[in-house]
Amino acid sequence: MGLSYILFMVFAFSAILSALAVVMTRNTVHAALHFVGHLLCLAGLYSLLHAPLLGVLQVMVYAGAVMVLFLFAVMILDMGEQERSTIASSRWQFAAAVVAAVALAAALAAFAKPSLGAALAPAGDAAKDLAADNIREIARALFRQYALAFEAVGVLLLTAVVAVMVMAKRKLES
Amino acid sequence: MPGIEFTLALAGLIFCIGALGVLLRRDPLVMFICIEMMFNAANLAFVALSEHLKSVQGQVMVFLVIAVAAAEVAVGLAIIIAIFRTEKDVNVDHLSELKG
Repeated sequence: MGLSYILFMVFAFSAILSALAVVMTRNTVHAALHFVGHLLCLAGLYSLLHAPLLGVLQVMVYAGAVMVLFLFAVMILDMGEQERSTIASSRWQFAAAVVAAVALAAALAAFAKPSLGAALAPAGDAAKDLAADNIREIARALFRQYALAFEAVGVLLLTAVVAVMVMAKRKLES
Repeated sequence: MPGIEFTLALAGLIFCIGALGVLLRRDPLVMFICIEMMFNAANLAFVALSEHLKSVQGQVMVFLVIAVAAAEVAVGLAIIIAIFRTEKDVNVDHLSELKG
């Protein structure tokens, strides 16, 4: 039980707690800030799971760019004033949602049984350190095997930017 | 380091918390954040399996998912802002313009 184990547990439980805080808090700004904490915990988990590049990307893209966008949206919509209408209105709705989530959790936990790790034998070299040449390995896979997917994602991002601009412009004209 | 089962169970739990948020909350921005949380749970499962299988392919998938999620956030937030500029209502139960 080394330092990485303790760090993993700390990140895992703070990820769960911040996720619960996102759902439970009534203030939208607080929810967004709790979600930033959740993303940072996940970035730590990625780094511990030998994916340092994804940890950095998580902080830069998600905790940086995406959450700033969210906070701008909260600011524009002035959500802070309307904190009462956040939780589901009907008690039956609440109960149904909780039951659905618990059933889903049970179904997912059934997959994560202890024999799973033995059943999934490592495909590659078991002693390989994924973190050692992480960026080079990812780049190699991304630009050779997944080159088409990479280009498609580029086109998708361009399309999204154009779509958002069209939507924003039409609002200004009307 | 805990085993693959622990990490996958963690990913499943985070996914369920996100699903619970989408079902419970009626604030469109928080629902959107919870959808992002489910994305991240899937990403965590990808990274855990990538580490377990000693293959970098799962990490490439997470890279692509992050890019697609960024595009999705941009379009989704633009739609939410466009709706609530005209509606001035933050409860998704009250939105029924598309009802046939």
